[in-house]
Amino acid sequence: MPRKIRTPLGVVRIERRVTYPRYISVLTTLLAIFLAFAAVAIILTLMGVDAANAFMIIGKAFIDPRLLLQSIKQAIPICLSALGVGIAFKMNFWNIGAEGQIYMGMLASTGMVLLHAYYGMFNEQSLLAIMFISSFILGGAWCLLPAFLRAKLNVNEILTTLMLNYVAILIVDYLIHGPWRDPRGYGFPLSIEFPDYAKLLFIFNNPSYTGLLIAVLGAAAAYFILKYTKLGFEIKVVGQNPNVARYAGINISKVITLGGFLSGGLAGIGGLSIVSGIIGRLRPRASPGYGYTAIIVAALAGLNPWLIVVASIFFGGLLTAGESLQASMNIPKTATQMIQAIIFLFILMGEFFKRYRIVFERKEGGKGA
Amino acid sequence: MEELVVLRGIVKRFPGVIANDHVDFTLRKGEVHALLGENGAGKTTLVNILYGLYKPDEGEIYVKGRKVELKSPRDAIELGIGMVHQNFRLIETHTVLENIVLGAKDLEFKIDFKKHGEKIRRLAETYGWKIDPEMKIWQLSAGEKQQVELLKILYRGADILILDEPTSVLTPQETRELFRALRRMAAEGKGIIFITHKLNEVVEVSDRVTVMRKGKVVITKNTRETTQEELANHMVGRPVVFRPEIAETRPGDEIAKIIDLEALSDKGVPALRKVNLTIRSGEIVGIAGISGNGQVELAEVIVGLRKATGGKVIIDGIDVTNEDPKRIIELGVAYIPPESTRWGIIQDMRIVDNLFLKAYRYPPYSNRLVLNWKKIFEDSEKLVRKFEIITPSIFAKARSLSGGNIQRLILARELSGLIGGKIPKLIIAAYPTKGLDVGATEFVHKTLMKYKKLGSGILFISEDLDEIMMLSDRIAVMLEGRITGILSREEADIEKLGLLMSKAVAQAR
Repeated sequence: MPRKIRTPLGVVRIERRVTYPRYISVLTTLLAIFLAFAAVAIILTLMGVDAANAFMIIGKAFIDPRLLLQSIKQAIPICLSALGVGIAFKMNFWNIGAEGQIYMGMLASTGMVLLHAYYGMFNEQSLLAIMFISSFILGGAWCLLPAFLRAKLNVNEILTTLMLNYVAILIVDYLIHGPWRDPRGYGFPLSIEFPDYAKLLFIFNNPSYTGLLIAVLGAAAAYFILKYTKLGFEIKVVGQNPNVARYAGINISKVITLGGFLSGGLAGIGGLSIVSGIIGRLRPRASPGYGYTAIIVAALAGLNPWLIVVASIFFGGLLTAGESLQASMNIPKTATQMIQAIIFLFILMGEFFKRYRIVFERKEGGKGA
Repeated sequence: MEELVVLRGIVKRFPGVIANDHVDFTLRKGEVHALLGENGAGKTTLVNILYGLYKPDEGEIYVKGRKVELKSPRDAIELGIGMVHQNFRLIETHTVLENIVLGAKDLEFKIDFKKHGEKIRRLAETYGWKIDPEMKIWQLSAGEKQQVELLKILYRGADILILDEPTSVLTPQETRELFRALRRMAAEGKGIIFITHKLNEVVEVSDRVTVMRKGKVVITKNTRETTQEELANHMVGRPVVFRPEIAETRPGDEIAKIIDLEALSDKGVPALRKVNLTIRSGEIVGIAGISGNGQVELAEVIVGLRKATGGKVIIDGIDVTNEDPKRIIELGVAYIPPESTRWGIIQDMRIVDNLFLKAYRYPPYSNRLVLNWKKIFEDSEKLVRKFEIITPSIFAKARSLSGGNIQRLILARELSGLIGGKIPKLIIAAYPTKGLDVGATEFVHKTLMKYKKLGSGILFISEDLDEIMMLSDRIAVMLEGRITGILSREEADIEKLGLLMSKAVAQAR
């Protein structure tokens, strides 16, 4: 039954759309972004900032080649974790712990570098590969625990994944203030700088290009897994209807556990891309919330791996723009977070209008309806 | 003959469909008027309009000669219209009396329950019902609850009665009792609209019949001047074969043996109490009984979806009690689940995905890791053709299919031997024709017969006794989690089955 709202002028009804073509979906999203920027413009104006000028600076983050590379660099961890989040969401596993999984990925990569630097383990050629594997495993393990609890004991994963974020951040905090601190670092809580062969520099000697390649490979892997593998099929079935999955003989626990591991693992590689790509060492609070932005990105992209790449570059650009805004117009960096949030809110509203439409009946026609 | 209700040119549109397309309908004083049609033909929409639940987009409603506008059920009740819904609307913890008085009009300030109780008792007696007004609703059988619903309406003086598929919850005996009461009410000059999709009921109880198809009235006729065949053809829009050819097979080896099986329902109360049953190859074993007596639980325990708390399930000589569903599938057990649109398919996945919901994990459709979509697509095309699934493409969402086509899809997935290329040894079909139109029902019957001939053992659960008696070699009746009797096809008749289905027998034991 359609919902009805009575107003003095007539009846407003909210009706479910029977079908909606793809172009409506795309148009709604674009319109939502446009309206979000309009809302941002109003707020900036109220803050006494020249909105037009601010938008010029935001635009530059996508046009100016140097800034674009910076935007892409920031997009890499967002993209990889969003790919992981996307896989989890596909199976209705609400992993909002990408942030923690990122930290575990950073911890694993840094750990390997320190083992190499302090104890001479691994050779220079294999170090980066080992960092990749270990950050995937540790990030995955960080999601495996909630996944396992959900699969076996039906423990709500929203709580466990979220709470493990704080645990992960604090573990990294401890290590970097304690045993992992650079002995020649004048007491600053920083690790030693990674050697070049432990950094993401193998394309054009530039972390942005290298990271972009990794992100695209990650998207290709996620796409392939979801579309062409048995596990991907099972993930979709479990996400759509667990009852039918059980009926079909699918081992739901196994799928959630494996899918959770994969999801966390991708975020773990996102962590690697921060320490090896953006910073070049480990420091406290190395991720300013990439894992949370990843949730927005995954939702915005409708969980489609290729669109996740595009959407993360967009959000990476917003982060870069935030830095420029702070530098040149003295707008607090948190303003970009506000922009992100507003965009997300408008997109959520857009989702509503994709599924429902509002019908207005004039009073004389709708009398007594 | 006085006309109680005249509906003229009723149109009701819902997003994407026209539920009623210029429908004309009249109800006369003193008649039982059957409203016949398949699911989705628009019967319920039409009576909901008459009961004030929906407002028609076009058309006029006349009640007792006066043009009316019904804004809500209250207006309809005011005009003497009463409706018995498919699911009862009674307060379970209150008494019969309280439930009936609750709906009465012009109640005095201090309710004289004694007076009302006496009047209700007398009213019930005129229809041959023995109902104690002091009983609580939850103590009553489904048939008695329906009588309370009718009393509630009659007590407030309604003379236009609408019954929406009233027989679906009744045993054959209760059905007969209801029909007797309905004839009596008609004789008193009331008008009764009787919604059904069962042809034999139309012939048994009604004076006139209106057939609807796809939102339109196909025909209105005196029941005496028509036949079941003619009505069926109007209902479906093409000639219908009623009886599939019964394949005479000699039952072979025992395929499934169920020993002292016990299980709990979702609510945690015993749903199966020491059930014993054997199914042999080339045999259809029917499970009759009113739904909710443990039939679904039995099916679910056999296929591994519900834990057995006692007893054993042996399939093909192997003890599979509480094995996981995957292993039971691999042993060659096919399951057509009840309410298949909810439990049998994934609405938002494509037809191909739904066809290969089980077989995707076995060669040649996949290797250790990767799916072989090319082979899956090829075989999907073949299955769609073989099982006559009507769809523009195998890539359409399952949601876009009609109920009949969804059932064809499920039959294709379960029966066509996608796993290991063999026909299923055991087929568990739970209410496979419920809610299907005549054409699709015919297809399901034919298909089950075909697999019986090929040597599958079939457990066939249904509420429809005609269907059960037509297809089954043996019929087991379930009541409150027990099998109250097993009859061969030759022994079984409506009378005996009805007795086994009713509480009296259970209590006598």
